[in-house]
Amino acid sequence: MGDPIGLQDLFFGTMAGAGVVLSGALYALFFALTRLHGSRAMNIASLAAYLLLIISVFVMANALALSGFWILVSAVMLIGYFLLPRAIWHLCVGTHAAEAAATHSRATQ
Amino acid sequence: MNEVPWWSSETLWRKTAIWVTAFMAVVLIVLTFDTVRQITAGGERVPAYNVINQKIFYEVNSDRGYQVPRIGETSALFGNELNEADAEALVTLGKLTVQAKNCMNCHTLLGNGAYYAPDLTKAWLDPGWVNEDLREQLMVQFLMDPENNARTFGTGRRMPNLGITEKEAHGIVAFLKWMSSIDTNGFPRGFKPLEQEDGA
Amino acid sequence: MSTSTVNVPVASPLTAGQRIAMHYFIAAMVLFLAQILFGMISGLQYLMPDVFYNQLDFNVTRMVHINAMIVWLLFGFIGSVYWLVEDEAKTELVGAKLALINFWILTTAVAVVVVVYLFVQVGPGELKSIWLINEGREYIEAPRWADIGIVVCVLVFFYNIAATFMKGTWSGISGVLVLDLVALAGIYCAGMYFTPNISVDQHWWWWVIHLWVEATWEVLVGCIMAWGLIQTLGASRKVVTTWLYIEVALMFGSGILGLGHHYFWIGTPEYWLSIGGFFSALEPIPLVAMVVHAVYDSGRHGFKSANHPALAWLIAHAFGNFFGAGVWGFMHTLPQINLYTHGTQWTASHGHLAFFGAYATINIAMIYIALQRVRGNVWMSGGLSDNGWKWKWSLGLLNGGVVGMTVALLIAGYDQSFVERALEGSTWSGYFQAQQSAWFMQAMNWRMVFGCMTTVGILLMFWDMLTIGTSETRGKQALAPLPE
Ligand code: HEM
Ligand code: HEM
Ligand SMILES: [Fe+2]
Repeated sequence: MGDPIGLQDLFFGTMAGAGVVLSGALYALFFALTRLHGSRAMNIASLAAYLLLIISVFVMANALALSGFWILVSAVMLIGYFLLPRAIWHLCVGTHAAEAAATHSRATQ
Repeated sequence: MNEVPWWSSETLWRKTAIWVTAFMAVVLIVLTFDTVRQITAGGERVPAYNVINQKIFYEVNSDRGYQVPRIGETSALFGNELNEADAEALVTLGKLTVQAKNCMNCHTLLGNGAYYAPDLTKAWLDPGWVNEDLREQLMVQFLMDPENNARTFGTGRRMPNLGITEKEAHGIVAFLKWMSSIDTNGFPRGFKPLEQEDGA
Repeated sequence: MSTSTVNVPVASPLTAGQRIAMHYFIAAMVLFLAQILFGMISGLQYLMPDVFYNQLDFNVTRMVHINAMIVWLLFGFIGSVYWLVEDEAKTELVGAKLALINFWILTTAVAVVVVVYLFVQVGPGELKSIWLINEGREYIEAPRWADIGIVVCVLVFFYNIAATFMKGTWSGISGVLVLDLVALAGIYCAGMYFTPNISVDQHWWWWVIHLWVEATWEVLVGCIMAWGLIQTLGASRKVVTTWLYIEVALMFGSGILGLGHHYFWIGTPEYWLSIGGFFSALEPIPLVAMVVHAVYDSGRHGFKSANHPALAWLIAHAFGNFFGAGVWGFMHTLPQINLYTHGTQWTASHGHLAFFGAYATINIAMIYIALQRVRGNVWMSGGLSDNGWKWKWSLGLLNGGVVGMTVALLIAGYDQSFVERALEGSTWSGYFQAQQSAWFMQAMNWRMVFGCMTTVGILLMFWDMLTIGTSETRGKQALAPLPE
């Protein structure tokens, strides 16, 4: 499980841990808003959030002296937080097609 | 556009939910069998109750990179060497008392519980008991009359008088000694045990 | 249909299930008050250890604090299910009388347990104490007789709900709900036996605690939310049901093996370090998924609601769940960090934000939904006669108070892990040094300041709950159907 960590490391490790989830969620938020409004500002914000995510993951991996399996976990987080909003958005569109279909059939009956 | 694509259909996700849940539950159950086997008293990680007849060292294991307990030579608790059944009975009395007196709503055991008082995981090995010869007696005295034997280190937080009898106190000490022999993967971190005579 | 006709309230009598629900809601709020009262005493004992020393010691006050919480949240859930069951099953509750008797038995049992906690407190080191006084295991301290009583009462509740669905109609939501209730009750049984082996004890104890709050309770809340969305926003049942399934897959997919984050240091094998770390890193996923979905929905039809306090508390739930469970949970969940933070004020920080944010909030929202109906389907949107200051201020004070306590405890937790774990070698004297360091003591003071804020918020909320809508003459705001 790697080497023992020092004082500042604990601080940076936990703060970066919070940063991972926060920036992951911010990325998801701005990503979704970009899809919704197609605005450039939102797109830039989402990129910034993702950049913050990358930084957070790196700071965390460094502070906690992650190695081996735990590097893999960090990579999964980076990729996962990138793909997740896309997948969920897709599902939103897909599932809500049912709503649209229902209205449609009601209208044509 | 109005068609619900197959990958977002209600049926697919119902099935996915069921299969994911079932799969995770099965994995958990398989792991549980193995874990319970490994933590049953008498195994590698959780020693048999008659470990209270022996000395318990706490030392760095260089392979694992942190401290683990090591069972040493005979050193009977309160001078009585107990067979496995009697040892279990004594630890059981201790555990029952720990529950009946609600210790865990002030202390943590294995790090779980309340944070008003110190962790008890390695209490048996704590340097606060001065040395190995005085330890047993000090522990019993403290448990039976915490009000007057409190070492609050200036916080003013004293353990209350819980009406612990001498027999119960012996049980608790046995329980704490046995608990200190559990392999906790290095928790609590960097623990400094009391002076351990004869390390080798 | 116009968006906001000012009409007269169309009062309709409560259904049988809703009357039962109100019993549970009222009992829940009384217990909430007890929780806070005893929380304040526990917090005070940190500052003044002589308060009630040898009379009402910390272990007793804290036990009442956390037990009252568990019970009031469960009462709130049971109430919510009784509230929605008839609507969802499209028929009347099967055993209304039985449900009422069941409520009184359960409530009396809880009262007896609390009286024994307060006046008997502890017993001799015998099985008898565990059967009659308290079990001495955090959160599930209830003595064994009460455990069995609780299971019986839950089975009666369960029968009532399942039979009602059987008589009426099943739906996706009710299917998930009923299966989840079975799991919730079954898991409780894992906490009901004595063993001298503390590792085995804690192993099963976490089955109850973790598999409740990070699996079955989350899904139960998901069911209540699903119903709420259909009811209050007129969302499509098919879509909501599909999303409930997706949520179940994500929650159980990460939460069940996430159990491993409690198996790092209790004697359990080393493979749990990897399993626990990995799966609890996945646990924020369902919460992040909700962010995307919420944005999508708001884009489609905005959030309109005829019950502003309920909507506000639902939003508080969304944020509270995300921060308390997602952010605060992940922050200390990797074993590299948890080695330092395990069993410190850090844990208490997470515990407060997560339980309040994820579960107290949604119960409060349900109670506001119920109150609107109780007061006769009255107006609860913007522009209340007193401008809704009571619910707004209580919302702010309560949430601000809990967030403040959480931050104070986080600072205390940092200080404790530094001093006790990193510097002092985790000994008793190390523990006490940490408790006395300047930051820690400051944080404990601030916890009480914010505790007072929370308390004021709760009192104000009760006042609001007793009065909201009582002198309202306008009917519930009608919402336009969802645009397509
Ligand atoms: C609403 C959901 C949740 C609630 C109500 C909750 C509540 C709690 C509580 C009360 C404790 C302390 C238990 C004790 O007294 O020993 C705890 C511990 C813990 N929780 Fe959560 N939790 C939630 C979600 C999460 C999530 C999503 C994660 C991880 C991503 C997490 C990670 C942890 C960890 C690692 C501990 C152990 C702390 C220690 O080592 O002392 N929790 N949780
Ligand atoms: C007036 C407000 C409150 C005060 C002063 C307060 C105080 C306390 C104290 C002193 C403890 C014991 C911690 C320890 O062992 O050192 C505690 C534990 C706890 N409280 Fe509160 N509390 C308050 C409100 C709440 C609320 C609103 C909730 C949730 C709805 C809550 C949930 C918990 C939980 C889950 C624990 C156990 C934490 C753990 O073991 O990690 N408390 N509280
Ligand atoms: Fe957990």
